[in-house]
Amino acid sequence: MATYTYTPVPDQGAKAGVLAYLVISCVVLLLMMLFGLLMRMEQAQMISIGALWFYKIMTLHGAGMVGIVALAGAAIMWHFLRQYVDLSTGIFMANLILFLTGVVMILASVLLGDFHAAWTFLFPLPTTSMGMWSPGAAALFMGGLLVIGVGFVLLHLDIARAIISRYGGLGRGLGWPQLFGPDDGNAPPPAVVASTMVTIVNLIGLVVGASILVMMLINVYVPTFEIDALLAKGMIYFFGHVFINAVIYMAVIAVYEILPRYTQRPWKSNKVFLASWTASTIMVMFIFPHHLLMDYAYPKWFLIMGHIIGYLNTFPILIVTGYGAMMIVYRSGIRWDMCSRLLFVSLFGWAVGAMPAFIDGTITVNYVMHNTLWVPGHFHTYLLLGMVAMVFGFMYYLGKPNENAPDSALDVAAFWGFVIGTMGFTMSFLYSGKISAARRYAEHLPEWVPYDKIASYFAMLLIASVLVFIFRFLTRLGLASRDYQRASLARSMAT
Amino acid sequence: MIGTLSHYSGRSALALGVFYLLLATPIARDWLEASMSRHMLVQMPLLVVIGIIAARLVPGRMQDSLLIRLGGAWPCVIAALFASSYWMLPRALDAALTDPWAEAAKFLSLPFLVGFPLVLAWRRLTLIGRGFVWTNFFSMLAVLGWLYIVAPVRVCNSYLVNDQENAGWYMVIASVLLFFWWLGTLLVGGGVGPDKPDQSGSGRTFA
Repeated sequence: MATYTYTPVPDQGAKAGVLAYLVISCVVLLLMMLFGLLMRMEQAQMISIGALWFYKIMTLHGAGMVGIVALAGAAIMWHFLRQYVDLSTGIFMANLILFLTGVVMILASVLLGDFHAAWTFLFPLPTTSMGMWSPGAAALFMGGLLVIGVGFVLLHLDIARAIISRYGGLGRGLGWPQLFGPDDGNAPPPAVVASTMVTIVNLIGLVVGASILVMMLINVYVPTFEIDALLAKGMIYFFGHVFINAVIYMAVIAVYEILPRYTQRPWKSNKVFLASWTASTIMVMFIFPHHLLMDYAYPKWFLIMGHIIGYLNTFPILIVTGYGAMMIVYRSGIRWDMCSRLLFVSLFGWAVGAMPAFIDGTITVNYVMHNTLWVPGHFHTYLLLGMVAMVFGFMYYLGKPNENAPDSALDVAAFWGFVIGTMGFTMSFLYSGKISAARRYAEHLPEWVPYDKIASYFAMLLIASVLVFIFRFLTRLGLASRDYQRASLARSMAT
Repeated sequence: MIGTLSHYSGRSALALGVFYLLLATPIARDWLEASMSRHMLVQMPLLVVIGIIAARLVPGRMQDSLLIRLGGAWPCVIAALFASSYWMLPRALDAALTDPWAEAAKFLSLPFLVGFPLVLAWRRLTLIGRGFVWTNFFSMLAVLGWLYIVAPVRVCNSYLVNDQENAGWYMVIASVLLFFWWLGTLLVGGGVGPDKPDQSGSGRTFA
């Protein structure tokens, strides 16, 4: 019979590699946020950068954000997973080097080659630029994505190797013996379960992504090798959606690992937890069709499958994690600090951010909402107030001077600025979607402009708050690598 | 016991040799090479498999010594990648059908430059190295299949366009099935491949 008592575990400092990942994540995240602000200000007619720069920045913002949240998520996953399995630091650093190489290629493609076909590089746009960029620029962009993908394949192969060596198979990493047999309480910890799921889905996604990228690279230079546009879109969205979905599953490991340290209550892998992760391992690969519901040429069964699985996949992990977090926090006497606040609010952001996608995944709604700002409203909520909040929570955890260190008023103000800024910014997106403001338009109709202005002001508040988070983390880098007790003990335990 | 194993290995080697010769007979060659799909997806893989089995029949110590002489695992993997890539070229297929020397080169290179060195190298590769080879193979097989399906011209003089398309579809299907088989071996652990503990010393073998 499984027992669920809390066993204290030491707080380990971050390895130099994890800190390198996080510092790069901070810099790029801030830069990409500034790019995002520029786009909103352009739409709000507060500045005038022109359509070319708008789309170049949009391409960089999209590719950069997807890449950098994946990098930050990988840092969290690697930091905690290495406490259970033997991971290779060499592979971890090789991924970083390949990532930076890919970033340089993408930057050169956009800034020097004028490539601006968005991060989704949907066929046939990269190859039909009408003279606005060269085939070389398109190839450099897609080559950059390919190099970044190769790095992540290596990272996930190393994680698979380590989990298989420790547990005997990825199925065991998902806790299948305990899920389908008696729960003996020896299921892998949540960090291992989540890492196993992410590894499985990302390996599949990246192989599909590499295939379509190579196909499109061939097509750039030999256009007579034609690609079925629907096949290309399906493959791109399969890869892209799985990859961006996986980042929150990497980052949520911070919640599973850190919140129990504050509450002294265990976050155990019970049957419900294991079932939700196994279900999502399968379902996360079939929900991407909600990006294709407007493509009537797809088989009807395919779109209906996307609709149904999109509904189903919204809940398992989210409910299990959200409910689990509330259960371990409820009457625990938790002492709220920047880390625990950010981790707790991240679950709110995740839940709230998933809802617009749930609504957009309804075929009849999708027809009128999908190409509006409703969708950026969804993924900005989900990523900013969900995933990115987890990353900053993790950074505050690493840099906390000691378990009783109080937060400064500036940090607390930045926390509320972050929450209010993100909510205002994303609600402006969602409301713009409601009034049919089209997405990916450099110029907006006069009726849409007021909401763009509101969004810009909230984005400024958000960026100012993030500046405080980043500044605080960078000033505490020396502490982040040391091993010591960080989490403030819950009042009920401390007294 | 040793005598029994040697006897077993000897019989296996003999059976393998007979099978190899059978594949080289005009009847087998005519039938297997009459269609692009059978040529690329049956005959060539069988030749690679012969090399794999031949290498596994070689005693472990001799395999280790051979691997050292050949420069280690990665030179063997790279040799296998280059040799197998060459036989993916349509021109190489045509040459094998029209030039007896090219046909002989195919019968020698696929077992001895692809299957044999891969097994030697596989013993020394961790799951990362093996996974990299596998994932590269799956994605490239799928891309090659797509190239054969959408090629605007007949790429082999010896085969018709519809045969070329069929071969392409079989490659795409094979890559998907092989990928899920490989993933399955990871899910249930164990896997397949030469028996050799991985570097973590767990004593398990992986695909």
